[in-house]
Amino acid sequence: MSQALPTFLEQIRCLPELLPRLVEAIEPRARQVLTTPDIYGIRQIVLTGSGDSYIAAESAASALRTWTGLPVQALKAMDAARYLTQGIKTHSERLRGTLVVCVSHSGEAARVVEAAQRTRAAGAQTLALTAHPDSRLGRAAANVLALAVPDAGAVPGTSSYCASLLGLYLLGIRLAEVRLCISMDTANALRSALTQLQAPMAHAIGICEEPLMARAQAWAHCRVADILGSGPSGGAAAYSAAKLIEATGIHAVSQDIEEFFHLNYFVADPTEVATLVFAGAGSAGSSRARELCRTLQDLGRPFLLLTDDATFGPPEHSLVLPVVPEWLSPLLAVIPATLLAALWADRIGADYFRGHSGRWRASQSGALVRGSTIEPLLKEE
Amino acid sequence: MNTYQLATDRNGLFDITPQVLAALQESGITEGLLLVSIPHTTAAVTVVSHWDPLGLEDIDDEIRRLVPTRVDFKHQADTPQDAAGHVKAAIVGHSRMFCVDKGELVLGSSQKIFFWEFDGPRHRTFHTQVIGK
Repeated sequence: MSQALPTFLEQIRCLPELLPRLVEAIEPRARQVLTTPDIYGIRQIVLTGSGDSYIAAESAASALRTWTGLPVQALKAMDAARYLTQGIKTHSERLRGTLVVCVSHSGEAARVVEAAQRTRAAGAQTLALTAHPDSRLGRAAANVLALAVPDAGAVPGTSSYCASLLGLYLLGIRLAEVRLCISMDTANALRSALTQLQAPMAHAIGICEEPLMARAQAWAHCRVADILGSGPSGGAAAYSAAKLIEATGIHAVSQDIEEFFHLNYFVADPTEVATLVFAGAGSAGSSRARELCRTLQDLGRPFLLLTDDATFGPPEHSLVLPVVPEWLSPLLAVIPATLLAALWADRIGADYFRGHSGRWRASQSGALVRGSTIEPLLKEE
Repeated sequence: MNTYQLATDRNGLFDITPQVLAALQESGITEGLLLVSIPHTTAAVTVVSHWDPLGLEDIDDEIRRLVPTRVDFKHQADTPQDAAGHVKAAIVGHSRMFCVDKGELVLGSSQKIFFWEFDGPRHRTFHTQVIGK
């Protein structure tokens, strides 16, 4: 066992206990971060971030869309910073009515800071979701929702991702409640559902460790992995791919289940491509996921279906997680995603983030994402 | 004291007279007073004529006209409907007392007792207490 594994596993095992504390800390802040007139001024919502923060945005977008009834889209920080504002000059108010939620745990990711600066200058209402309100992002955005995340050490982000997701969910619930899209009873039930995810998360740890250890062993020779999911599970797939890259260094790619049939299906040497599928039996994309399982079997891909119904997929390829509402599945998926990454990395003796050394030394202290040049919005002539 | 649960599916008036009459009958009291109490700050209790359902809508329409749901209430901890509901409930009141005579609740032929929801749909509670002999 590598020295880093116990630290990573400890962070994963702490998540169920941490979850209600995070909800308790973030919820009152989400309640106060925007005034009622501000909330009624919103016509569309853009969720943006990079890396895990973008994945959190991607994972939460559909829930926020459902609850608020507003157009909600997740944009990568580059899109939000450079393309959402393309051709717009300062003080034009072109983005008036757009709430741009900028997610960055450190608050120092340059492109996210830039997105806040530029969209704010173009008239958007900006809100930073960060654990560091005094960061560049905290200063750039008009409002800050502070995330209380304990320091996890030098392991792939887990609690910080959960905090970002919780912040987005709690913000969405709040917006929907104030806009009277959902009743206060419903809003409180959704908040309770977040807290009550503690038990399924703890249960998932117990049932996942052994089968994922076996998969890590069986897949140790694979240098490529496809991680598949749609809707909220698309976010889960993206997060799982991110953790595999960070922890193991293999080339892991997330893909939507429908897009798989158009693209990744044609990847050569299918027996060497480890494939993970996130699909709940009751999810909107479940029928396509069933078809996917048959296709993966025909291709001879080594695959594992993470689902919530033992009868949903081929038993020998299935790992059955506790049943939760589809919108909560990205949070629950953190458990198998991080466990697989931790156990696989340990199996092949990989250093997390390649040790930020050798060819990868430029990434030390996040320099590659923090040190990028920020381009301000052009001033009105 | 008797406690009743009520799941409101909207804002407006909900007839609770049957529950109140049952509470009186159960108490066995023939002379005295009966109190209906609402333990909420965004709901109230009132007495209204029950003959025309549109009259109930008129009453709810008028309280909405008097206290519109606005976004600029100072109380922003919950929702604009909640803030307006606090004002409406304070105006209408959270309890009503009724006379009990010869084992009967003293109500006029047009009168019914209504739970008035200002922040629905919600899961609600109301209480009755009968005092007398």
